[in-house]
Amino acid sequence: MKSWWVRRRRHDPERNAAEYVSGELPRRAIRWFEAHLLGCEECWHEVMLGRVGRAMAEEAREPLTRGLRDRVRAHVQVSGSAGHPRER
Amino acid sequence: MTSDQDSFLRATMGAMDLVYNLSRKLVRTREEAEDLTQETYLAAFRAWRQRRRPRRVEPWLATICLNLARSQYRSRSRRPKEVALAEGAESAGGEDPEGLAMAALDRDALHRAMWRLSDEQRVAITLVDLMGLSTADAARAMGTPRGTVLSRLHRGRRALAGLLGVSVMEAGR
Repeated sequence: MKSWWVRRRRHDPERNAAEYVSGELPRRAIRWFEAHLLGCEECWHEVMLGRVGRAMAEEAREPLTRGLRDRVRAHVQVSGSAGHPRER
Repeated sequence: MTSDQDSFLRATMGAMDLVYNLSRKLVRTREEAEDLTQETYLAAFRAWRQRRRPRRVEPWLATICLNLARSQYRSRSRRPKEVALAEGAESAGGEDPEGLAMAALDRDALHRAMWRLSDEQRVAITLVDLMGLSTADAARAMGTPRGTVLSRLHRGRRALAGLLGVSVMEAGR
């Protein structure tokens, strides 16, 4: 018998892979989808590509440039003081 | 320092890394990204002083940053070419495709690859994979249905994997 999750939605490898790789499938759906992956070449392929792409995207994180934190803090402080002259 | 300033900075400074990384994917240069980050914080602070305070700051800051980028920076940025979906991605298979991917790419190549995605794909990937927002939060920030975000997210990931596939083949020669 098909699970509640399968009955509720059509076979959509892109969407399922996107949700699975993002960790957003409900727990019961994960169990079903992982079993489904073993027999569905198309979904397996999409998940593999999604995992690679996500790993690459995570590597694209860059450190803050030097001084930016202080610069923003200073601007917020100046901005706040200018807007509220009576506040100390 | 006023109490508004103090509470704002305490609530938001921890998210600056995320805002900066989002800015880096919205405008071309580091200098523009720094300016966009600063403007995002100033706009957020103006809202904060008017008692418009979010439950979670990351999606809120992301929305402000996206809106500012759309209104001020977008016309300056050269629109990137759409990447065809992953013909070369077949070659990225193997026991550990992610490890293979990382070994084959340096950070500059990765940055260039991100800029070869469409704006929408790059933003979706940045919000979800870099900033850690849920697809529902990303959808709110982008002003699109969640299904659209899922589609952009997956196609962007596929396109990145396709670009990686080419690199892996080249590395193996």
